[in-house]
Amino acid sequence: MLAKVNQKLSGALVFLVLLVLSITNLYPFFYMFLNSVKSRTDYFVNPFSVRGLELTWDNYRTMISQFKILNLFGNSFFISFFTILLLLCLGIVASYAFAKLRFKGKEVIYLLIISTMFIPVQATIIPLYVFFSRLDLVNTGWSVIFIYVGMFIPEVILLMTSGFRGIPDELIEAAKLDGAGYFDVIRYVIIPMGRPSIILCIIFYFIVTWNDLFAPMILLQSMDKRTVMVALAALLSRYSGDPTFQFAGLVLASIPAILVYVFFQRYIVKGISLGATK
Amino acid sequence: MVSDKVAVKRRFRLSEGILSILPVLVVLIFMRFYPMVAAIYRSFTNWDGLYRSDWIGLANYVQIFTNSPFWKLLRNSLILLTTVPLQLMIGLFVAVLLYEEVKGWRFFRTIIYLPQIISAVTIGYLFRVAFSLDGPVNLVLRKIGLEFLANEWLGNTGTALGVLVFCLTWFSIGWQAIVILGGMSKISPEVFEAARMDGANYWQRTFFVVIPMISRTIEYAVIMSMVWTLTSVFAFIFSITAGGPGYETSTLDYMIYRKFYQAGAPYGSASAFAVILLIIILVFTVVEMRVANKASEWE
Repeated sequence: MLAKVNQKLSGALVFLVLLVLSITNLYPFFYMFLNSVKSRTDYFVNPFSVRGLELTWDNYRTMISQFKILNLFGNSFFISFFTILLLLCLGIVASYAFAKLRFKGKEVIYLLIISTMFIPVQATIIPLYVFFSRLDLVNTGWSVIFIYVGMFIPEVILLMTSGFRGIPDELIEAAKLDGAGYFDVIRYVIIPMGRPSIILCIIFYFIVTWNDLFAPMILLQSMDKRTVMVALAALLSRYSGDPTFQFAGLVLASIPAILVYVFFQRYIVKGISLGATK
Repeated sequence: MVSDKVAVKRRFRLSEGILSILPVLVVLIFMRFYPMVAAIYRSFTNWDGLYRSDWIGLANYVQIFTNSPFWKLLRNSLILLTTVPLQLMIGLFVAVLLYEEVKGWRFFRTIIYLPQIISAVTIGYLFRVAFSLDGPVNLVLRKIGLEFLANEWLGNTGTALGVLVFCLTWFSIGWQAIVILGGMSKISPEVFEAARMDGANYWQRTFFVVIPMISRTIEYAVIMSMVWTLTSVFAFIFSITAGGPGYETSTLDYMIYRKFYQAGAPYGSASAFAVILLIIILVFTVVEMRVANKASEWE
């Protein structure tokens, strides 16, 4: 009896602690949204107040009409889309090889590829910048896309190889007996069976590339090529700016990643507990 | 005849494997190996990114060690590393709570991981606003009569670094919790039941059951978050303090960015910073390789 009460009590305590932690996580974003729909004067009077609040969408309107944030969204989507596409094309084929094919030096090459994960992009950025400027690719999305593919392909391979290892060999053998060639095996066995890890890659690298700042900031300097994060970072670094306007931009820029997270979070949680991504 | 066929088949299979990974190798050679080697070579020159690239030996390194904020940058990187034990401890605490599966634990898990989904630009800006002179933190401190605590958080070295550590910790708790929770899900529930039956309380369960059984997960989390702290916090620093005041909150990797925009394009010197950063990471990577050998055990 006493044990049962005790257990209930500790359950309530755990609930309470988790609730407090969740509120500390949510409040900053609530604060950001709350103030993005205030006018500048209201914000400076009291940033916490919700009473007597006059909602105004002016900040959002200006973000769209003056700041042209939707064009920036386009730039970001372009980079995210082609990065993911290339990561999948290269990653699926390579991970199939690492998971299911036998060839000389496989283990060594695998470790070598994985270990490039730890080369910081800052250490390579200046030679890359010069390299891309010689190819006339600075200020195009492609330079950022290629850098991203180089940065993230080891993690993608780590993740997909571990996913593909779980596909039974018998299925591949059976497909081959039915006359399936190399690409048939990938298309009809590997992709459908390895779907969880593939979906995880899509979601995860959408969020990562959408949010990243460093590489695009170095490589995209012309105003009309910048990603949404680069443009916002430039806007925010002006200390004299209007916070409510800046909050509105940040809220808009957070929406795509949050939507993806909300809809696909079970994949993300699963993938991180697999231990492959950061 | 038959053995010929087998040989041909085997050779094709061999090349099938190599061909599959060839595109990846090409990308990595251009995007990772070439620029790394280039950075190492240029670190011995006075390169300006264009045509000036004279061999000057160790001059860049001598200059960095004797006449640059290098030691300050190193100090800052090491101070930021204190986030690792902090996020690990809090993450472990949260993971153990989530493991209890109280009502709504899935919702809590979603919320606790949320900061990881938001851009560092956004989070950094929120922290900058929060700790600004007339920001929410100082407002609250003044209101509750702790006015003496209110100060220019981002203007002083100590407090500015403190805000950065706080921000990185807050950002990473969710990641740590999910990783540890993943490790814990492999412990069989009977072990917990047995511990509970024996009257082990929360702290005893955490220290004598959970931690020993997920030591490998913890090892992985520590290495990943250390490397992450040394290489991936650029956007946080940029949007909270911009490395200032002076070099007080710049780190080694942030310095490369600053050198990139510095007058006179001191790319040779920037490359030397890159090499030093690489060597520091290499020390961690050697450890990491040992763990990567165990990659199969994480799955």
